[in-house]
Order: sequence, then structure tokens, then C-alpha cells
Amino acid sequence: MTQDARVVDFVASFEALRAEVEKVIVGHREIINHVLIGMFAGGHVLLEGVPGLGKTLLIKTLAEGLELSFSRIQFTPDLMPADIIGTNIIVEDADGRKHFQFQQGPIFAHILLADEINRATPKTQSALLEGMQEAGVTVGGVSRPLPAPFFVLATQNPIEMEGTYPLPEAQLDRFLFKLRVRYPALEELNAIIDRTTQARAVTVDRVMSGAKVMAFRELIREVPIAAHVRDLASTIIMATHPLWEHAPDVARRFVRYGASPRGAQALVLGAKVRALAEGRFNVSVDDLKALAAPALRHRIILNFEGEAEGIDTDQLVSQIVESAEAAVAQSKEPFLR
Amino acid sequence: MAHPETLDRLVRRVAAQVRRRRVEHYALRGAFWASILAAVLLLFKQPLGALALPLAGGVLAAGALGGAMYGALRRTPWADAARLADRAWGLEDRVATALEWAARPDRTPIVEALVADTVARVEQLEARMAARRVIPRDGRFLPVSLVVVLALALAPPVPLPSGRLPDFSAAAGQEPTETRADAPLMEDKAKPLAKERLKPSAFEERDFATRAGGSGGSMSGDLSAIFKDTALSSQRPDFQSFLKKGDERLKLLEQADRLPDLQSDFTASQYKMVYRKSKSLTSGGLRDISPQKLKELLEEMERLGRKGGANWQGDAAEGMEAMEGGQTDRALEAMQRALDKMRAQDEAGRSGKSLKGGRESSRSGANSRDRRGGGEGGGPEDQDFGEGEGMLPGKGRSGSPKGEATGRLRGSPYDVGVEGETRRGRKEGYDTNLTGRGGQMGSRLQYLGVIGQYRKAMEDALARESVPRDFHDQIKDYFQALDER
Repeated sequence: MTQDARVVDFVASFEALRAEVEKVIVGHREIINHVLIGMFAGGHVLLEGVPGLGKTLLIKTLAEGLELSFSRIQFTPDLMPADIIGTNIIVEDADGRKHFQFQQGPIFAHILLADEINRATPKTQSALLEGMQEAGVTVGGVSRPLPAPFFVLATQNPIEMEGTYPLPEAQLDRFLFKLRVRYPALEELNAIIDRTTQARAVTVDRVMSGAKVMAFRELIREVPIAAHVRDLASTIIMATHPLWEHAPDVARRFVRYGASPRGAQALVLGAKVRALAEGRFNVSVDDLKALAAPALRHRIILNFEGEAEGIDTDQLVSQIVESAEAAVAQSKEPFLR
Repeated sequence: MAHPETLDRLVRRVAAQVRRRRVEHYALRGAFWASILAAVLLLFKQPLGALALPLAGGVLAAGALGGAMYGALRRTPWADAARLADRAWGLEDRVATALEWAARPDRTPIVEALVADTVARVEQLEARMAARRVIPRDGRFLPVSLVVVLALALAPPVPLPSGRLPDFSAAAGQEPTETRADAPLMEDKAKPLAKERLKPSAFEERDFATRAGGSGGSMSGDLSAIFKDTALSSQRPDFQSFLKKGDERLKLLEQADRLPDLQSDFTASQYKMVYRKSKSLTSGGLRDISPQKLKELLEEMERLGRKGGANWQGDAAEGMEAMEGGQTDRALEAMQRALDKMRAQDEAGRSGKSLKGGRESSRSGANSRDRRGGGEGGGPEDQDFGEGEGMLPGKGRSGSPKGEATGRLRGSPYDVGVEGETRRGRKEGYDTNLTGRGGQMGSRLQYLGVIGQYRKAMEDALARESVPRDFHDQIKDYFQALDER
């Protein structure tokens, strides 16, 4: 298969999968796109939003559209790590001899829905986050790889903070994107009512296999990025650091810690998927701009002033991107800007 | 993989456009600054003559051409040109990425697809200008400077100021033959001084004449002459009438003896002066003084006593007599008495304005005992109050306007320290009406005897002091209530 054909196949598969999800989920086009981009980029996605907006449904529908195993964990404060990764149990064989056998936990699935991840204790969260980073778990001294592709979609509710354990920054950094699910528009709400309160049942077709997902992940890494686009990505990441000599004023004033290099990886990988999903063979500046907020909003830690003034991280990222672009353009001759 | 020809062509085209814009930009800048230079040259059209116009035109053309050359020779990096093409035609960084990755050895298979896609898109592009025109800031003023150049070129030569230096050579023209005799005298040429400037000198003359002890007539004549030069001559018809009317300033100057000597310390009293002198003469105790120095000191005291009519003159004279008789001890005692009297008079002269004086001076020191014993200075100011007597406000020799505080029994600061017992019977509150020894002690001040004087002091205070008017009635009511009691 030629490269053109592979790219065309990817674009078709991407759109087919999105179409299957959109059979169930009304609106949230950008959220669906970003979830798919996160999956093809090989990362994990954290969805944040108030209850009832369809976060869990989106993920379940996505799992239905893929020929992949799916499991769901409802995180509660009494959830233990063994409840996630599994444990050794004593079994008796045909001869009557007893031995330990590893009983896999729900983490051993291709797609894992970690619902309300911030309700579990940090110990349990860590068990999941280790699997997310290493693509494997260690039980009883034995490392067990997780199936590939392994894709975690976690949700959390931003308003009910009582009895929750907010994810620390180090664990938030493991998520490729953090997506904010917002209320649907009026037309979308009408469509949701029509679609969910009628007798007609919606069936989601499986349009993509796990092997195909893995193949697409390889293809995505081949997408070239020009030096000046890569420089802009680096400049954006550096501009989030208040101590950087060329940091914009907003970063100096409101940011305590900026994004990590993992943020730059997330930005560029996501941009590559986005470019390919649009049928483009290269990363453009627009791809970076479009994915800067989901890739960086959970990696920028505001300082006291930023928290006190209620600074919106998305707006902050937007201003940082603008200033980074202006800084790159300013270094050029007026004719070449 | 070589650069695709189509992409190269596009980049070259864009680079050429950039070059063209640069040529425009720098030609404008060069022309502007050259026009400034041309205008300066045209200002000197007169000395330059026929050369001025071609020179200015040449400068203008050279500036524009030089700027254009500079712009044309500047290099345009192909990556920048490719990026400019991407932005100009909305190619989403395809050209820049394709050109960059096509030359890289680690290019991925997808780069070929990228290049092919980019070439296909570029071939469909419409030819248009990708590089924008950038007008330089100084180039915006080029029309103004060109108009100035044109105006100067068409206008007649501007006459320039001839800054010729004077010719100091011997052959250069004759000097004006004005002789010293013909020239007006320096005194005549000099401008008369302002009258205000003369005023001090006139006063100095007056002082000099007075101190020299000149006769009144000659002094008057001198003053008349000086008076003519003063500003006052315009106000008074003649000097005599001026003297008759009297000018306070001149009168003051005539009484130079009465003017204070600002060099001396007038804060010092006569006693202090004599005391200092005695200290300087003796350089130690009075017993060590030599007869000659003692005589000088007594003479000085006698002189001061004569001048002021003081009461120590007799003591000083007695001391002088004793000195002449060789009785140094007696002379010393007389001098000591004279010093004490001087001191007493000095303190009395302060009239209670200082903190010291009054009873305090009479209480302390052996001097007061000596004075009492001597019987001298026993005037009304020196009298002490006896036991049981008090002092009225503002009276006596106390430094305090209200007089000294009444002395307490045993010197205790608290009434509770007064010896005695509290009275019997029902007590309404804290009571200082004592029984026993304390209760039997009579009042030191007769109430009815002093209330009238207090009342008078109050009326004086109301008349003299700045007591708010609203309080006057209140104060009078208070004293009225005291009377009724």
C-alpha cells in the first residue's frame, strides 16, 4: 500500500469512527476529535465535566466502534489497587493440588474507562497511572504487559470536590490531553432529547480493529514537521515557564510552573494526528494552535495570583501561543513575516 | 531526493518578489536621506554656482540607486521564502516542510506523498504577489523633502551671511584718527551711577563726619552736597527742611552711640560681665588675686555703679579706699559684697521670667545668708514669706506665675501621709477633713482674704489673656459661686 493510500485509509477510518460515535453523541465534535486524536497518538485522555454531559457514553460508544476489549472501573474511595490490576488467588487443579493463579483486573483491557478517577485514593490512582505510563503492571514480582493498544479514558467531575482526591500534577502529566466537556447548545440539546427518548435503538458498528489502530500509530509518527513549526512548539512550551527570559508577561504574572517536555511531545504528536486526519502530510502551525489548550491546560500550574484572579487556563494558553508566535515573527525581517 | 522543480520555482519567485520589495524599501530610504543632502547643497547654490543643481540631482539619484542596490543584494533564505509562500497561498506549511524534508536523509516515506501533494497544489496556484510592501518610516517624508529640494532648485540663490573676520593687518584701512584730547573724558563718558547705589556712600560720609567731630556747619554743608545725590532730594526741596522734618533713618545714624554694638554679647548682664572680668583677672580664686588686679576690678565695678546708679557703688568705693590703705582683706570683702549685690539686682531684673530667682535664690547658698546677715538688700523684693503665709498667683519673686506650690506636711506627696485620724460619723466618700492633730491645724491661707485677689487676677486674665469669649460667663459664674460661699 502506498503512503497516499495509507493516509487515505487513515482519514477514512478516522471519519468512520467519528461518525459511529456521533450516532450516539450529539454535538461535542471537537471533544470527539480530540479523543480520537489522543487515542491515535498513543496517549490517554482525561475528560472533565459536570455529570450528565455524556462523557461516559462517549467513551462507551467509542469502545463499541472499535474491535477492542473494553472495561469500566467506577472509582470509589474504597477501591483498592488489586481491584484494578488483579490479584493472585488460590485455585485447585484437577489433581487436587492448589496453586496461585493471577486473576486479571479490569485494567487488562484495550480501552479502560476510569469513571470519576478523582474519587479513588491516591494509592489506587497510582496503580492505574503506573499502567498508563509503563503499559504493564507488576503483581507479586511478576511484570505483566497490558494489551496493545491500551487506552485509558478517565473522567472527573470538577464541581463535587468533597470526598475526592484531586490528581497531583505528576499524575495529570501522564494524560496526553485534558478535555473540558461543556454544555451542549440548544439545537444539540433538542437532538439529544429526540435521540434518547424515542423507541428507536441506535447500533454502533465496529469500524476499526486494534491492529489497525497500532498501524495508524506508526504512520502518524512518520508525519514530517518543519523546523520552524517545531521551533514554535518549543517556544510555546518555553513560554509557559515564568522564569524563561522571553516569557510573556501573563506567564510571569500568573504561572508557577510551566509545561514539561512531555507537554511538547503531546503537542507535536497530537498535531501530527490532526494533520493526518485532515488529509495533510505535514504538521502546520494551525495544528499546534488547535491542540495547545488540550495539551497544556493541565500542565500549567497557576500561582497564587493566578488562582486568586480566577485565570482561565485556556485563555492563558491562548495568550502564550500568541506571544510565542509574535516572538518568532519578530525575529524575521518585515518582508518575510 | 532533489527539490522538486515546481517548488523551487515557487520559492525563487517569492524570493524575487521579496527582493523587489526590498529594492523599493531601501530605494525610498536612500532617496529620502539623499534629498536631505541635496537640499543642503542647494542652500549653497550661490557659492557652488552652476554646479549646485547637477550636484543635487546626482546626490538624489545616487541615494536612491544606492538604496536600491543594497536591497537587491540582500540574500533571502529559501526557508523563509518557502514559509512566506505557504502563508501567502494558504498552503499550511506544506512547501516549507516539503523542501526541508526532501533534502533530509532521514526522510520518511510519507515525505514523498507530501512533496507530491504540495507540487500538485502549487501547480494550481495563481501568480500573485506574496511579499507585502513595507514603506519605511523615513520614506513617508520623501515627498516633503523632494518638494523642498524642488523649491530650492527653482528659487534664486539664498543669500548666505558673510561671516568675515576683521582684518588685523597693518595694510588694512586707517584707524579713526580721534585723538586723546578730543575724546571725552572718562568721567564724562561714564554713565552716572544709579542713585540707589550712591545712598550707602552718602551715609558713610555722614558717619565719618560725625565721628570725626566736625563742626555742625561744615557737617551740614557736607550733608547738603551729599543730599543732592540721594533719592531723597527729589522728595524734599532742600536739605534743611529735610533735617527739620526729620528723617528717622538719618537721626538714627547720627546717634551712633546709642546703636547697639552687635559685636558684644548683650544677653550678658553687668554682673556677668564683671564676674567674667574678675575670673579673667584672677584666673583662679579671689584670694590669689594680686593687689593691682584687684584695684582694676574695683575700678571697673565703681565705673559700672556710677553709670547705672546701682547700690554696690558704695561697696566698690569702700574697697578702693581699703586698697589705698593697704587693707587687701577688707577690699576683698567689699568687692564680694558688691558682687553679691550685683547678682541680686541682676536676678531681680529678670522679673520672674526665668526659672530661677525669687525664693529659690534666697533659699540656696551661703550668699543669701550673708546678705541677710549684712542687712543689705532687705527691700520688699528680698523678703521671705513666714511660716503660715502663702504666695498669691503672680506675686512675690517666684519664677512661676502662679507662685510656688504650698508646702505639704512632712513633704509627703500624698495627703494620706498626713498624720491624723479620719473624722467620725458617716462618710460620703473620700474625706480629707482630718481629726486629731491634722484636723486642728488652721488653714494657711485665709479664704476671705485671698478670694478677692484671685477674683482680681481672674478679671485681669480675662482682659489680657486670650480666653475664649464663650468661657467668660462660665468663669465669672464660677467665681461668683466662690464668693457666695
